[in-house]
Amino acid sequence: MLAMFKSIPTHMVSLPVMDYKGQKLAEQIFQGIILVSAVIGFVYGLFIQQFGWTVYIMLAGFTVSCLLTLPPWPMYRKNPLSWQPAVPETSGEIRDKPQESQSQKKKKHK
Amino acid sequence: MNTVLSRANSLFAFSLSVMAALTFGCFITTAFKDRSVPVDIHVSKVMIKNVDDFTGPRERSDLGFVTFDLSANLRPIFDWNVKELFLYLTAEYSTRSNALNQVVLWDKIVLRGDNTKLNLKEVKSKYFFFDDGNGLRANKNITLTLSWNVVPNAGILPLVMGSGHKSLTFPESYEIAKSY
Repeated sequence: MLAMFKSIPTHMVSLPVMDYKGQKLAEQIFQGIILVSAVIGFVYGLFIQQFGWTVYIMLAGFTVSCLLTLPPWPMYRKNPLSWQPAVPETSGEIRDKPQESQSQKKKKHK
Repeated sequence: MNTVLSRANSLFAFSLSVMAALTFGCFITTAFKDRSVPVDIHVSKVMIKNVDDFTGPRERSDLGFVTFDLSANLRPIFDWNVKELFLYLTAEYSTRSNALNQVVLWDKIVLRGDNTKLNLKEVKSKYFFFDDGNGLRANKNITLTLSWNVVPNAGILPLVMGSGHKSLTFPESYEIAKSY
């Protein structure tokens, strides 16, 4: 019965996903943009004495952040994870796998 | 942060927290301002009648009619944290039966962006100036003051009294107008 679950693919190559360094970069970028637009908005609103402009500048910063960090641009996929090569699926795989991992471990120790 | 929805959630929550901090900043820059300006009130005509007051416990009560002029410059009150002002004209006096009476005679809403120079002439009172009893006749000291309620974008709603008031006396008998 376990063979049924093992045959479901666990990673999808079709949807582009950000890698970990890319996620960190995206978070830094949007936090930076929002904070900068907040400071600019606050100072400008205080200068012309209209709080509406502070909100507009914040919304502009929010929109720019959305465009820059929500879609997974190529700059966020510069450090992809290096997966192990896929093991070819055979009928005797379940019995073979524990032995293979043991043999891989033996190789690493050497 | 590996899916679009997860990033969108994080971005939106962060923006909302920053927006809340900005609103607090807006409040703190105007929290300790003095919002009082000088007000000039002038009264042109007063009259009293003694009529049936169906809302009161007695048969007849005094009803006052005041015609007044108002002038004030409200521009200094409006800053980035003021949405509107609610102005109201109060008449304050004391009678033999009640030590303190306060009656609102007239009010006006001044929105942000409206004309802030108040220059009204020959304004009749908007609301009935009923007394609780018959204490308006020959009353020596009725004080009119203009106050306002500041409605902010963020923070406390203070009630501010304008500096400047007008004292007037009501006539000795009913149905006879007294001009100033």
